[in-house]
Amino acid sequence: MESSIPKISTVLKTLLRSDFTTQWRNRRAVILTLIVPIIILTTWKPFVAQLGGPFVLSNSITIGLVAIGLMGYSTSIARDRDKGIFQRLRVAPISSWSIMTSRLLVQMAMILMVTTAVFIAGSSYDQVTLTPAGYIVTYLTAVVGGALYLSIGQMIVGRIQNPETVNSTVRLVYFVFIMVGMFGQFSTNAELHNIVHWSPYGTVKTILASGMEPAKWDNDASMALLVTLGYTIVCAVLGIKWFKWNTK
Amino acid sequence: MTADNILTVDGLSVSYGKFNAVQNVSFSVRKGEIFGLLGPNGAGKTSTLSAVEGLLKPQAGTIVVDGNDAASKPLHARASLGVQLQSTSFQTELFVIEVLQLYAGIYGVPASKSDLMATLREINLEDSAMKKFGELSGGQQQRVSLVIATIHNPRLVLLDEPTTGLDPQSRRQLWERIEAIRERGHAVLLTTHSMEEAESVCDRIAIIDHGRVIAIDTPQGMIDKHKSDPEVIAVSRRGRITLEDVFIALTGKAIRS
Repeated sequence: MESSIPKISTVLKTLLRSDFTTQWRNRRAVILTLIVPIIILTTWKPFVAQLGGPFVLSNSITIGLVAIGLMGYSTSIARDRDKGIFQRLRVAPISSWSIMTSRLLVQMAMILMVTTAVFIAGSSYDQVTLTPAGYIVTYLTAVVGGALYLSIGQMIVGRIQNPETVNSTVRLVYFVFIMVGMFGQFSTNAELHNIVHWSPYGTVKTILASGMEPAKWDNDASMALLVTLGYTIVCAVLGIKWFKWNTK
Repeated sequence: MTADNILTVDGLSVSYGKFNAVQNVSFSVRKGEIFGLLGPNGAGKTSTLSAVEGLLKPQAGTIVVDGNDAASKPLHARASLGVQLQSTSFQTELFVIEVLQLYAGIYGVPASKSDLMATLREINLEDSAMKKFGELSGGQQQRVSLVIATIHNPRLVLLDEPTTGLDPQSRRQLWERIEAIRERGHAVLLTTHSMEEAESVCDRIAIIDHGRVIAIDTPQGMIDKHKSDPEVIAVSRRGRITLEDVFIALTGKAIRS
């Protein structure tokens, strides 16, 4: 057993196996992340006829993405940082970005899983099906939207050190996203409606809904995509700048 | 730096904001040597070790590990290091064998599951392979941590207060394992509060206080050098001068935070 600098591919493979195993052992959290969008999908079945399948599906996926970015990612990062798990990894001959890349890839897999689960439930329960292009573009927009919520999670875990405070903060933010995002879009107040439309919830919901019908992609969807990317860059830059690897 | 040095720390300074935790610290660790860093709480031991580990960026000074400058070749320097942190924690959802697989992988050690089981057998923890790290006793956790710190056969092993919280049996066993690392030709740098530990296992020690190295010598050499000092005689309690008497005389009797 001689020391050497391991290949990046070996490091990433090893970290991914460990992070996926950890995620698998946290099945209860994964199931909860999947259940909320499915519940929304089934309870909003009456809206399918009125507002269209993409409206209901995009809201469900958005809620799932918010849960992954805030509840899943940031709480696990805050907990592992507090326990010194990152510090132990960082004294190994591996770069810090490989540790985070592995964590983010696991969350990306979760994003694809939630999107797939909503597609399956939407098809079997609400009879909402998309064109092949619609499915492909929606997966892509889900990744873009998921990246925004991961960057918000990164910002929270960057700003707040205590894992308990991170936990309570993300729950509060999650609740605000659901209440303002989901129900604000039904508001008759034009100003509130506009704020929600251009909020991190609204822009992601817009690109998801537009992605489900690529033929109807319009300027509003393109602008929502740009705003989503803008939010992501700002939150990611701040989140990375503020982030500390240990709480001491 | 001489060819015999596995670690050379020269003019190291570490600050936290305006607080200077480590100031112009220099020392070296030779091949096949157990070197102890002693000091009261907050003296700068862990900060020094953290800088060597690459967890802290020093404000000044150079650190060379096995010929690799830690600033310009950090991965090469870290590849030569085995580290046991003060409060070691591993992924709580993973079994002990999976933690070993993880660290073998990230250190680039091609170890099969049977190799790792054999490693666990060596430390009498074969039956705990499918237990989670948090389910192990303090002594068992230390054994696993030390195995992980040495899984890649490093040239230098850093141990931050390795025997804190261990019972005498576990402590003695750990000392034997540390000495076995030296017998394999590797060097060990450890921090400790225990003068007994320093006298028992360290070939040389450095006493660090207020971020500065105030003495470097062998444990017996340090006693011999200071045994006639009035301050040392004044704090002596048992009629003979011990390393603890020298330590107290050099660092003061005041309790540190």
